[in-house]
Amino acid sequence: MKNVSKSFIFILLVVFLCSTTIFGAPQKTTVSILAGISTTDDGIQDIITAAVAKKYPEISLQWEIHEWSDNFHPRMQQYIQTGLPDIIIGKAQDVATYGGQGLLAGLNGKSYLDNILDAAVPGVTIDGEIYGMVYNCLYQGVYYNRKMFTENGLEVPATHAELADVIRKLRAQGITPFATHMVDTWSIGNVVMQFAINDVFAQTPDWGDRFRAGKVSFATSPEYKKCYEYMKLLYDNTWTRETFSLPQIDCDTRMVLGQAAMKVSGSWSIQNFLTIDEDYDFGIFPFPNQSGDAKLIFEPNMTFMKSATTKNSAAVDKVFAVITGDKEAAVEFYNLSRTASMLKGVSPTFPNPSQKDIDKYAAEGKLIDANLGNNQLQWGGFQDENAKDIASWLQEMITLDEALKAADSRRANSKP
Amino acid sequence: MLRKKSINRFEKLQYFSLVLPGLILFTIGLIVPMLLSFGYSLTDWNGLAPTFSYIGLENYRRFFSDTFATQAWNFTIKFTIWNTIIQNILALLFAVVLNSAIKGEEIYRTILFVPCLFSAIIVGFVWLRMFSNVLPALNSLLGTDINFLLFGSAKTVLTGLLIANNWQWIGYWMLIYLAALQSIPNELYESAAIDGTTTLQKFRHITLPLLAPALTICIVGITTGSLKMYELLVTSTGGGPGRASTSIVYHIYNTAISGRQYGYGSAVTVLFVFILLLVALLQLSVLRKREVQL
Repeated sequence: MKNVSKSFIFILLVVFLCSTTIFGAPQKTTVSILAGISTTDDGIQDIITAAVAKKYPEISLQWEIHEWSDNFHPRMQQYIQTGLPDIIIGKAQDVATYGGQGLLAGLNGKSYLDNILDAAVPGVTIDGEIYGMVYNCLYQGVYYNRKMFTENGLEVPATHAELADVIRKLRAQGITPFATHMVDTWSIGNVVMQFAINDVFAQTPDWGDRFRAGKVSFATSPEYKKCYEYMKLLYDNTWTRETFSLPQIDCDTRMVLGQAAMKVSGSWSIQNFLTIDEDYDFGIFPFPNQSGDAKLIFEPNMTFMKSATTKNSAAVDKVFAVITGDKEAAVEFYNLSRTASMLKGVSPTFPNPSQKDIDKYAAEGKLIDANLGNNQLQWGGFQDENAKDIASWLQEMITLDEALKAADSRRANSKP
Repeated sequence: MLRKKSINRFEKLQYFSLVLPGLILFTIGLIVPMLLSFGYSLTDWNGLAPTFSYIGLENYRRFFSDTFATQAWNFTIKFTIWNTIIQNILALLFAVVLNSAIKGEEIYRTILFVPCLFSAIIVGFVWLRMFSNVLPALNSLLGTDINFLLFGSAKTVLTGLLIANNWQWIGYWMLIYLAALQSIPNELYESAAIDGTTTLQKFRHITLPLLAPALTICIVGITTGSLKMYELLVTSTGGGPGRASTSIVYHIYNTAISGRQYGYGSAVTVLFVFILLLVALLQLSVLRKREVQL
């Protein structure tokens, strides 16, 4: 009798477990995401997960997050062999790299694209097909301490002569003109590309293609040589002894504490500035170029892409619809990351002291897309390697000519 | 006779079945990737494209004219030589001191050993902060102007990395020397004392020869570990300033992955493994000859 009862209870348990599995929780679709982000974008996963869960509880998101400049591309290389995740989050320039390999799904005709600003579309389009959704953008230029400029009677420089004058006056007051953190080689690469966008690509948009065709070179280009020399100008007017040891957070802290007047950077510094001092008053202006008509650089940043081989296409479209349609979530993210919106009718609400400068340059038509350069010369294996040569030159390990020739030696590796 | 043969065969089968899992893992984890790597090294594959072309030994020829690879090798060799010398001398010195029954020996042993439990990633981060924030703050306290920014200059970055790496690993090799020292019979020292030998003579004629096996392990271990340096660089110098602290493994990673030159990176890897093996075999054959057994 005891044995019969035990068997009966056991059978009941088995039936219960099976029914829970078959008829229990509703089937969820898991959408996998590989995200290559900057440190300022950390938190995007929580915002998007919550927004998607609210609208589509049957969709669950599986995140894998990496630093874009370090591990994102190696992971992409691995996944290209084993199968890409459903959604890839990178930068707009990644569309040229991966879209060109047939790895991304075209998004033409999708209704959620109507939520994206028109200016964000050309940079993610290849041969008429849109392969990415740009979510936010960064502004790059010279961030300056507005109070310090006012107190020292300085005007925003538009030419090199005016910049030299500003540097001279700052030095006379014992103020370090530029804040830099060259221990991060990526910052050298970014700054040199900022210079090149206004001095090289603004005049010759296809300079990269001409470079690969052998028609131009770094060694013989007076414009590119000038860009390298601007880097030397920064190096000679910063905390030279410390710049190759100083992490970004320390550099930004010194800037906010008034130890430097300017920093050639991007919106990624705003989060640090306002975390250190929420009342820090700063502005932005484009680094002057040779022709005196430099424009403020905007860089389409976080870009959502869909894998060409995803088995969850419908679910991915739903996720994209939420990302572009949920304005509350978008504002929450823009305020967290201190970046600008690429969605129509959505603006961040965080106080951005540099916004009035951005609006002024936008109104004057003085904005230029960073992808003008980034889509011509790839970052990994080219721009970052050139940055190391520049660092070697600044440390007097090689000459300027050797640094320029080293860039030419990587010609075959320059195409995004 | 037949029964003895079948027992032997059975025993062999038992041994083989015990070794088999390890052998499978070794083959899958090491041999197969090495063979694949060699295969890729004969191509122009960029790691992304679905197709690539066979280019023979072109990647190997390119290595010998690659100035950046040469620079990385030079740095790696300098680091290895200095690291091997410093770590062995200091580890042996600390082991001899700890073996002399000093007070608080266990505390000193723990203090010296604990750093090797940290990941090299953490060690790199810690020493970046030490050199850029903590130690420079001493200048303000002491009113001095000592340059602690060792990672910030191509001239001093090697010194900084040697300090960080030795801080991490001296305790580990010290334990090996300590165990070897403690295994030397005391009677040998007593006999030597009766014969009137000095401390230095005892160290030279008794301690060192009997430490030879430990010396072999430590020298080979430190050399191969130094040649493979990578993680420490990731969070400390990033291979910089410029390329001043780019090791050969760092160069391989940058070339193959960031630089999307998978074929060339594989060729450099194959050459690197070959050189590692050569160095290890050479060291073993030289050092083993010096080993003395009681």
